[in-house]
Amino acid sequence: MDVFITALGLVFDPYVLMVIFLSAVFGLFVGSIPGLTATMATALLVPVTFFMEPVPAIAAIGTAVAMAIFAGDIPGALLRIPGTPASAAYVDEAYTLTQKGQAERALGTSLVCAAFGGLFGIVVLTTSAPALAEFALNFSSFEYFWLACLGLTCAAVISTEAPVRGLVSLLIGLFISTIGIGIVGGYPRFTFNITELLGGVSFIPAMIGMFAVSEILRYATQTGERPVIPQQPIRNLFKGLGPILWRYKVNMVRGSVIGTGIGALPGAGADIAAWIAYAISKKSSKEPEKFGTGHVEGLVDSGSANNAGLGGAWVPAIVFGIPGDSVTAIVIGVLFMKGMNPGPTVFLYEPQLIYAVFIAFFLANIALIPLGFIAIRSARQVLRIPRRALMPLILIFCIVGAFAINNTVFGVIIMLILGVLAWIMEENHIPVAPAILGIVLGPLLEDNFLTSMIKSEGSLLGFFERPISAVLGVMTLAAWLLPLVLWLLRKRRSAGASAAP
Amino acid sequence: MKILRTAKTLMLATIGAALMAGAAAAAYPERPITVVVPWGAGGGTDFTGRLIATVMQKKLGVPVNVVNRTGGQGVVGHSAIANAKPDGYTLGVATVEIVMMHWVGLTDLTYKNYTSIGLYNADPAGVQVAADSPWQDVKSLLADIKANPGKFKGSGTAQGGIWHLALAGMLKTAGIDPNAAPWVPSKGAAPGLKELVAGGVSIVTCSPTEAAPLRDAGKVRILAVMGDERMKAFPDVPTLKEDAGVDWAIGAWRGLTGPAGLPQEVTDKLVATFAEVVKDPDFVDGMNKRGFPIVYKAPADHIEFMKTSDVNMGEVMKAIGLAK
Amino acid sequence: MRLNDAVLGVILLLFAAAVIVHAQTSFPGLPGQDYGPAFFPTVIGSGLALCGIIFVIQGVARLREVPLVRLGSWASSSRHVANLLVVLGALLFYILLSDILGFFITSTVLLTGLLVQFRNRFLPSLGMAVAATFVVHFFFYKMLLVPLPWGFLEPFAW
Repeated sequence: MDVFITALGLVFDPYVLMVIFLSAVFGLFVGSIPGLTATMATALLVPVTFFMEPVPAIAAIGTAVAMAIFAGDIPGALLRIPGTPASAAYVDEAYTLTQKGQAERALGTSLVCAAFGGLFGIVVLTTSAPALAEFALNFSSFEYFWLACLGLTCAAVISTEAPVRGLVSLLIGLFISTIGIGIVGGYPRFTFNITELLGGVSFIPAMIGMFAVSEILRYATQTGERPVIPQQPIRNLFKGLGPILWRYKVNMVRGSVIGTGIGALPGAGADIAAWIAYAISKKSSKEPEKFGTGHVEGLVDSGSANNAGLGGAWVPAIVFGIPGDSVTAIVIGVLFMKGMNPGPTVFLYEPQLIYAVFIAFFLANIALIPLGFIAIRSARQVLRIPRRALMPLILIFCIVGAFAINNTVFGVIIMLILGVLAWIMEENHIPVAPAILGIVLGPLLEDNFLTSMIKSEGSLLGFFERPISAVLGVMTLAAWLLPLVLWLLRKRRSAGASAAP
Repeated sequence: MKILRTAKTLMLATIGAALMAGAAAAAYPERPITVVVPWGAGGGTDFTGRLIATVMQKKLGVPVNVVNRTGGQGVVGHSAIANAKPDGYTLGVATVEIVMMHWVGLTDLTYKNYTSIGLYNADPAGVQVAADSPWQDVKSLLADIKANPGKFKGSGTAQGGIWHLALAGMLKTAGIDPNAAPWVPSKGAAPGLKELVAGGVSIVTCSPTEAAPLRDAGKVRILAVMGDERMKAFPDVPTLKEDAGVDWAIGAWRGLTGPAGLPQEVTDKLVATFAEVVKDPDFVDGMNKRGFPIVYKAPADHIEFMKTSDVNMGEVMKAIGLAK
Repeated sequence: MRLNDAVLGVILLLFAAAVIVHAQTSFPGLPGQDYGPAFFPTVIGSGLALCGIIFVIQGVARLREVPLVRLGSWASSSRHVANLLVVLGALLFYILLSDILGFFITSTVLLTGLLVQFRNRFLPSLGMAVAATFVVHFFFYKMLLVPLPWGFLEPFAW
C-alpha cells in the first residue's frame, strides 16, 4: 500500500501531469496524420525524454501512443484514410457510416471503445504482467505460423460476397510482401536491382496509396452527380451512445481480451489485433450481413482491441525486455536509459516507479475521452471543406506522409503505383482490404513457416508436436474446413429437398 | 498558361536570389545536419545514433536530426549515406554490415565509400543458452555439437548476419564443421532470444547486452563473450578463449561516417567535435546505462580496423559458403 | 475501367506464370532445405493461377452480356480524363522534381494545378496552395523533423 501511495505522489505532480497533457496533444496530432505512426511519435519523443525523470519520460510515450492509435480513426472515418495501420481493419466500415451521415456515431463509438480497451489493457498489465509474459514466451515459430494462418481467414470473413475476388486480393498482398530481402532466405526477390526495393514495399506508403490515392482517383473520374456527404453537426458526441455500447458490451470486453492477448505476443501488435477482432466480431454477430454497410458492431470490437493491444505489448517488454511491438522496442531503450532495466527485478527494486508509470497510463486513457472529443470536434471541420478543394490538400498530405516513413521519395513512388493498382482493383470489384491484410501477414507467415521447417528438418509434423501449436493448428483447420463441410451438407440437404416431391 | 507564366517568374526570381546568397558561404555548420541510421527505430544502432545526435547538437549549435533508412539488411541505409551529397550535412552511422554485405554480392559498397569520423562502439558477441539447458560452459556445448551435428540450432539474426557469422566462426575455429549447428534466421536478437526461451533453438550468439534482462529473469545463461577481454558490464562472464581455448573474437561495431570525399575542413571540424562527444558525460552515461561499451578510434585507426575486419569477415563467409 | 472476367483471368494467369518461372529459375535454395526463397512465391503464383482459371471460366460464360473491356463513363468526358491525368501527373511531378525544385515550389505548383483542374478559381487556388504549403512545411519539417527537400533553395534553408 505504501508503494501505491508513493506512486500516486509521483504521478500527481504538476510537472508530470503537464507532460502527460502535452504528449497527449502531440499523440493526437501525429496519429491523425496519415503516414505518421505511433512508432514515429515515440521515436520523436525519445530525445525529449532524455532530459526527464523516469516516470514522466515513460508516461509521455505511453500517453502519446494511446492517443495516436485512437486518433488514427479520425481521418479513417472522415476521409477513408487510416491515420495509423491499426485503423486499417475497419476504415471502410467507419467511412460508410460517415457517408450515411453518422460520423458522430462512428467516432463516438471509436473513442469510448478506445478508452475502454486501453484501460482494460492497463489493468491486465498491472495485475498479471509476469504470468501473461510467461505464457507468451512459450510461443515459438510453430505457434506464430498458425496464428498467421488464423489471421488469413480474416480475409475470407471480410469478403464473403465474392470469395474468389477476396482471395485474389489477398494473394496480391502476399505477393507484395515477398518483395525485397527476406530474413530467412537472405536473397533479394523481385527487386530488379533497385537498391530501394531491397527493403521491400513499406507498409505505410502502400496503405496510403491503396486507400487514399485510389479514393482521389475515384473522385477525379466520377461523372454525374456526386454523392453528397450530409453536413453533420457534431455537437453531442455521446448522445445515444449509451444504448449502443450497452448492446455491444460483450463485444467491448471480447475485443479488449483479444487485443491484450495478441498485443502481448511479441511481433504481433495492435494492427493484427484489430483485424482479428473485426473478423471474430462478424463471425459471431447475430447480423453479419450488416457488416460493411456502416454497422458499429465491428467498430466496437476492433476499436477496443487495438488500444488494448498497447497495454498488452508492454507485458513482455517490461518483464523480459522483449518488445511486443515496434513502440515498446523503443521504450526498452528508454527504460535502460532511466535505470529501470526491464526484467522481473523492475517490480522488486523500485516498485513505486513502475506502478507510477501504470497509474500514469491509466490517467492517460481517462484523459483520452475529453481530449479525443475536442480532437473530433476540430477535425470534423474537414467535412465542411468542399471536396474540390479538399482532395488536392489530401494528396499533399499523402505525399508528405509517404515520404516521411523512410524519408525517401521512393515511398511516394510506391504510393502512386499501389494507388493506381487499388483503383483498378476496385473498378473491377476486387476488394482492397484483403490485400492490406496480406501485406501485414505475409512476412509473419513466410518467415515462421521457413524457420519452423529448418528447426524440424523439413517435417510438417512439427506443426502439431508442441501442445499450444497443436491446439492452434486444429483451430485453424477447423476454421477453414467447417464452413466447407456445412456448405456441402446444406447443398446435399437442399438437393434432397428439391428432389423429393 | 497563366499558371505557367507565374511559376516561371517565381522560379527565376528565386534562382536569382539563390545565386546571390550562395556567394556568401559561411562557416560549417550553418544549418541542420541529418544523421542516417541504417536500422530501425528502437534498436541499438538507433539508440546510439540518437544519443550522438543529441550531444552533437549541443556542441555544434545546429539541430542534428536522426533519420532511419531501414531495409535490405542495412544495404538501403548504407547506400543512402554513401550516395549523399558530400557537404557534411548528411552523415550516417556505418555498422559492421558494411564489411559483410559486399561479400554476399548485395552491393558494391565497401568501407572505402565512406569518410570516417570515428568508431565509437564495439560490441562482442556472446554465447547464450537457455537456463534449463545442461551446458555450463562453452566446452561442453562444443563437444555436444561435434557429437550430434545438425541437432542443435542457433539463432539471433537474419541469414548471413553478424551473429550468424559469430557462431559459424566459433565452430570453424574450434575445428568443427560450421554447418554442424544450423542457423535459424530471426528478425533480430530479441526474437531469437524468445525462440531460445520457448525451446525453439539451443544457442543464441547475440550481444550479451541484449540478453541481460532474460538472464536476470533466470531464463538465459551467458556462457562466454567472443572478445579479447571480459566485458565491463559482465565481469563474471569469461571470454571464449579463457573458457574453451577457442581463439575467436567477433562483434558488431558502429562508427560515425560521411560519404566519401567530404571537404577537409568539414571533416576536421567533425572529427574534433566527435572526439569531444565520446567523452561527454551525457554520452558516456547513456552508453553505460544501456550497456554499450564505448570504444573510440580516431579515423586513421577506424579505417585500419575496418580493413582487418573486412578481410576476416570475407574468410568466415567463404568458409560457410555465404560469400560469392 | 471494367474488364471482363476472362480478360482479368488471362492477366492473372500471365502474371502468375511470370512469378513462378522467375522464382523457380533464379532464386537459390537454402543449403540442406526443401523449402527456400522460391517456395512462397511459387505457392502464391499457383494460387493466383487458380483464381485466373476460375475467372476465365466465369468470364467466358458471360461473354455475351459483358464486353471484354468497358471504360467508365469518365473515358468519354474529356474533363474527367484530364482530371485523371492531372492527378497522376501531379504525383509524377513531385517524384521527379521535388529533389531539384525543393518542397516549397513543387508543392505550390502541384496544389495550384490540381485545385484549378478541379474547378476552383485561379487566385484563391494559388493563395490556398501557398498557405497549405507553408502549414505542411511548418508541421512536418519544423515540428516532426521530416527532412523535406530544399532543392536549389538550400542556401535559404531554415
